[in-house]
Amino acid sequence: MKEMKLEDFKYDMERCIGCGGCRWVDHIYMSGVKYGQRCPSIERYLFNDHLASGRLKIANALIEKRLDYSPYLLEVIYQCHLCGACDVGCKRNLDLEVLSALEGLRVRAVEDGQGPMPEHKVCAENILEKKNRYGGSEKSRFNWMDNKSYPKPEKKNWSELLYFVGCASSFVKKSLAKSTADLLNKMGIGFSVLNEEGSQEWCCGHPLIVTGQIKDVKDIVEHNLKLIRDRGAKTVLTNCAECYKTLKVDYPKIMGFSTEDLGFKVIHLVELIDDLIGKNEIKFNKKVKMKATYHDPCNLGRLSEPWFYWEGERKKYGVLEPPKIFRRGTHGVYDPPRRILTSIPGIEFIEMIRYKENAFCCGFGGGVKEAFNEFAVWTASKRIEEVEEIGVEAIITACPYCEQQFEEAVKRKTLNLKILDIAELIHLAL
Amino acid sequence: MSLPEEVYHILQKIVGKDYVSQDPVTCEAYYPTGHGKDTGLERLLYEKAACVILPKTTQEVQEIIKVANRFNIPYTPGSTFWFITCQTKAPNSLIIDLKRMNELFIEEKNMYGVVGPGVVYSQLQEEAMKRGLYITVPGGGGQVSVVANLITAGWSPLNYRVGMPSRRILGTEWVLPDGEVLELGSLAMGSNPFWGEGPGPDLRFILKGYSGWFGGLGIVTKMAVKLFPFQPERLKPVGVSPNTMLEFPTQRMRWFNYYMPDSKALVEAMYEIGQAYIGAAITKVPLMWRFVAKANSRGEFWELWNKQLGNIQEFYPAIVRVLLIGYTSEEQLEYEARVLDDIMKEYGGELHRTRQGDESWIKNADSATMWAVTGGYASCAGMIDTVDSAVKGGEYYAKIKRKFTPPLVDDLGEPGWFQMGEFGHMGYLEFLNYWDPDEIEARERVEQWYFDEVPKADARMGIYNLFQCQMIPVLSTVKFGPNHHLWMEKIKNLFDPKHLSNPPAPFEFDEFVKRAKHLKGDWD
Repeated sequence: MKEMKLEDFKYDMERCIGCGGCRWVDHIYMSGVKYGQRCPSIERYLFNDHLASGRLKIANALIEKRLDYSPYLLEVIYQCHLCGACDVGCKRNLDLEVLSALEGLRVRAVEDGQGPMPEHKVCAENILEKKNRYGGSEKSRFNWMDNKSYPKPEKKNWSELLYFVGCASSFVKKSLAKSTADLLNKMGIGFSVLNEEGSQEWCCGHPLIVTGQIKDVKDIVEHNLKLIRDRGAKTVLTNCAECYKTLKVDYPKIMGFSTEDLGFKVIHLVELIDDLIGKNEIKFNKKVKMKATYHDPCNLGRLSEPWFYWEGERKKYGVLEPPKIFRRGTHGVYDPPRRILTSIPGIEFIEMIRYKENAFCCGFGGGVKEAFNEFAVWTASKRIEEVEEIGVEAIITACPYCEQQFEEAVKRKTLNLKILDIAELIHLAL
Repeated sequence: MSLPEEVYHILQKIVGKDYVSQDPVTCEAYYPTGHGKDTGLERLLYEKAACVILPKTTQEVQEIIKVANRFNIPYTPGSTFWFITCQTKAPNSLIIDLKRMNELFIEEKNMYGVVGPGVVYSQLQEEAMKRGLYITVPGGGGQVSVVANLITAGWSPLNYRVGMPSRRILGTEWVLPDGEVLELGSLAMGSNPFWGEGPGPDLRFILKGYSGWFGGLGIVTKMAVKLFPFQPERLKPVGVSPNTMLEFPTQRMRWFNYYMPDSKALVEAMYEIGQAYIGAAITKVPLMWRFVAKANSRGEFWELWNKQLGNIQEFYPAIVRVLLIGYTSEEQLEYEARVLDDIMKEYGGELHRTRQGDESWIKNADSATMWAVTGGYASCAGMIDTVDSAVKGGEYYAKIKRKFTPPLVDDLGEPGWFQMGEFGHMGYLEFLNYWDPDEIEARERVEQWYFDEVPKADARMGIYNLFQCQMIPVLSTVKFGPNHHLWMEKIKNLFDPKHLSNPPAPFEFDEFVKRAKHLKGDWD
């Protein structure tokens, strides 16, 4: 867990030059004043304490004991989606670990007995006691599998593909779990799920990780890792961007190794489908007449690059020895969903104004939904305004939490805009 | 530190309670950043602000300044805070953060844009380019405030064609240090800001001084900025960060990178290009930048740089980068390309491959990359004169810099970054310095370079240094030109008798030198 210690990022805090890379959309992609910022937090709260560069100065002052905790400081720390837009913007030019420092700040707040916010503790209790973020009964996790067409829990039939369903699809958005399972069945892809009594899939732990409750999450990480490894799964499939990033990036980060040492590959459904398109093993026969755009979930886009474990020293001129591989958001899962959408007959695909690594967050992440719901919905509404601007009928995404956010924002605005998960859209097209 | 309760309540009434804060957390977030960081100013001058306020309108700015005057509150304006002078330096100061003042309007027919201080260059450029117009994005970067930049410097290689940036300031709304509004140009005669001069004497150079007041003379709340006709094709953004660029329509825009046999040939070729009246930008490329562009990380930069060190035979490689734009037609570009080819054949230029797109200078300018090398960077000189003077000055700085290398990074005698302005009638030099800001023991030596040695070099060489022009000794020892510091001091006393507008700007360098025991200040 070394990577989450605030003191390890003192250099990054001190060497921030305040260029605003954390604030502005890549200037090459700058669209003007209206959608020019990449950070929801500074756009909503305006003072620089809600900008990554300001937070770095605040974190540094906290380490140097020039600043004390206060209710406002906790708001500043937690009114951030940890969407990583700042990190990508900064790393366009510099080798500074902005996002890791912000995560470290939360870990520090928890260690100091100040964080997380009270609402996060409720969620944490659910996860620790019931093994899911909603507090639903552990036994009901696989209730969505009532249809007999889904794989039966008989070991002999289990394939090497493991579907990690996640809390949202298991408890709230069951149709998504069903769509995913149906898709796999339709394509004749064998898969298994972690549904054995006594050794079931647990929440991936994302809500604990992003709120700095790292000590509490370790058991969860170890539990899920053990089950996956014991199952002998070579590939873990998710349809949730949060689970995807947590398994692929945070698990190795917390356990102190690199993604490639996980022992299995983590893929999102869009990667699987895209792969099948590339191999001509899937064909969309049904026309879905729709003008649509795609929202890049942060956890599937800029935050999804593999984790590279690094340990070393900083030498003269701040050079790292041994060299470190920086995750700059370059290799996020950007193209697969776009290739899927443009392969479906009838879909007229239009890009958002801010897309791929510059995409504006949906507002759910970083524990904001639990603790600052108004801010969360405000962020989603801003994104929906952007969708309205490009004149589409539907917004497609690949994360149940993004979908939930947009549904809420659209409802508040009473708009006639369809919100679909890409799995549901694929289902319609097959 | 906090403001008197009465003052805080008044400020809340002016902007609304959501837009003013004296929480220490908020004030801490405005810790000094930007160009000039790590040159000592933040160490010896910085005083944490007592309060931050976010006005939206000119009227609010006026009222805030009037309150500041009434209660003797020093205030520091900023919107992007991309300069060390945007730090608060007096106890119990108020930061006036102008980021909410981000109105942007383009008058397409008369080719100007109206911007508030919260608008940055890439935003204005995008809106201009949508309409077939453009502005030049300065070395400060695509992320700097258009207003703040134009009242200080604004230098860009693309000024080669369109001239001094300050000349494109049109009608301007300026809240003086006592809170009164002064309207410049045609704005004073009505609501249309299309014209910059008058009424009466043109006051724009009081507004600008020689290279800005750095918040020391009130706040510009609105400015009309001249735009220029661009070529008609849209530039397409491509790539994923960090490798993004605007793809050139190559029938209209093209970069040419030439390796020249020596610096003499480079300069002569540059002049020749200007005389031929072709080109959109001509700039000499500092060697280090080429390695920064090639490297994917700081570690990789040093690996490449160290490997190259053994292979470099010349004092410095003379590389010139020329941008041609077919503003009026594709034929214009083809014609200019042929002329350029002729000139380069004459001077022995060897054409090298380059990417055909904008990574810097059209909409973006990667100023932050300057810190990529060591984490510590500042230009110590900026000079607007001739290319000959730029070369002479750069070579002289390079010579005396050896005494300070290390701690300054050995850049093989690099004579700086120079470029042409106004079709060769003008030259611009910026002298670059990199060092390790975490070498505490080297810190004072770096500061001696900046504040003792460079001003002496300026005086010796007659360099009118844009970046040091507030330093009294520089101005008083140089034999040409007016004594700006006396003139600026009088203006300051007249407009801001209480010295509340970002004190001690514009004389903060003098104040710093006075306080720094390791600096001699022996320029005379």
